[in-house]
Amino acid sequence: MGQEPYVEEYAIQAGDFSAIGEASTKFKATLKMLGIASDLVRRASVIAYESEMNALIHGGGGMLRMTVHDDHLVIEASDSGPGIPDVQLAMQEGYSTATDEIRELGFGAGMGLPNIQRNADAMEIDTEVGRGTRLRATVAFKQG
Amino acid sequence: MKIGEAVRVTGASVLVEGDMDRELGGAISGDLLSFIMAEAREGWLWITIQTHVNAAAVAVLKEVPFILAASGRMPDRTLVDRCSVEGITLATTPMSAFDAAGALREAGFPISS
Repeated sequence: MGQEPYVEEYAIQAGDFSAIGEASTKFKATLKMLGIASDLVRRASVIAYESEMNALIHGGGGMLRMTVHDDHLVIEASDSGPGIPDVQLAMQEGYSTATDEIRELGFGAGMGLPNIQRNADAMEIDTEVGRGTRLRATVAFKQG
Repeated sequence: MKIGEAVRVTGASVLVEGDMDRELGGAISGDLLSFIMAEAREGWLWITIQTHVNAAAVAVLKEVPFILAASGRMPDRTLVDRCSVEGITLATTPMSAFDAAGALREAGFPISS
């Protein structure tokens, strides 16, 4: 019998670089508390962190939401930023539109979306130039 | 190799003392946060020149117990504070990342698997 999904959501504030990872860290603590297997927690953490980073650096802030179901979890990030003109290009490892200033901090390596895809069982990107981007990544709990 | 021994071998100054007896399962060197997010494993040492607060979030998420700042980089106060809260050992070595890795290997640090 399915339980009500557990939902946790945080606002990602524009320009607050020092806060990158805060929401993801809270998600991680929640997943551990819920008794989710540690390899799944680690995968979800990577997805959440990269999504959080993207929403802040490229999207100018937005929302990060995690929904935990019985057999899977979903991480969603949304922003009202500039959108991604060419998703295929953005998915290429090493491609980045980040500024030099951001790169010097170790962000913007062009690995975010590939990292998310690698750790998700499913990933969808809904983006429109001038409107924003929504990303939805799923991690299934089914064991080997 | 234990964290305490890695500190000694690299001549590092400890800014935050976590569990110095914790056995390190491997090590990684890098300054791109997404690269560390992709490659670091639980229980590893991370050698980097990134000394801002975001390094702590990466360490927490990847369960990295020891951040070693290389080339004499001095971690920001905010990173020191965050590592204290999270129990992550934070140290700085005058050695470059290359030399620190070399010193660790010479002292018997195993190949990361």
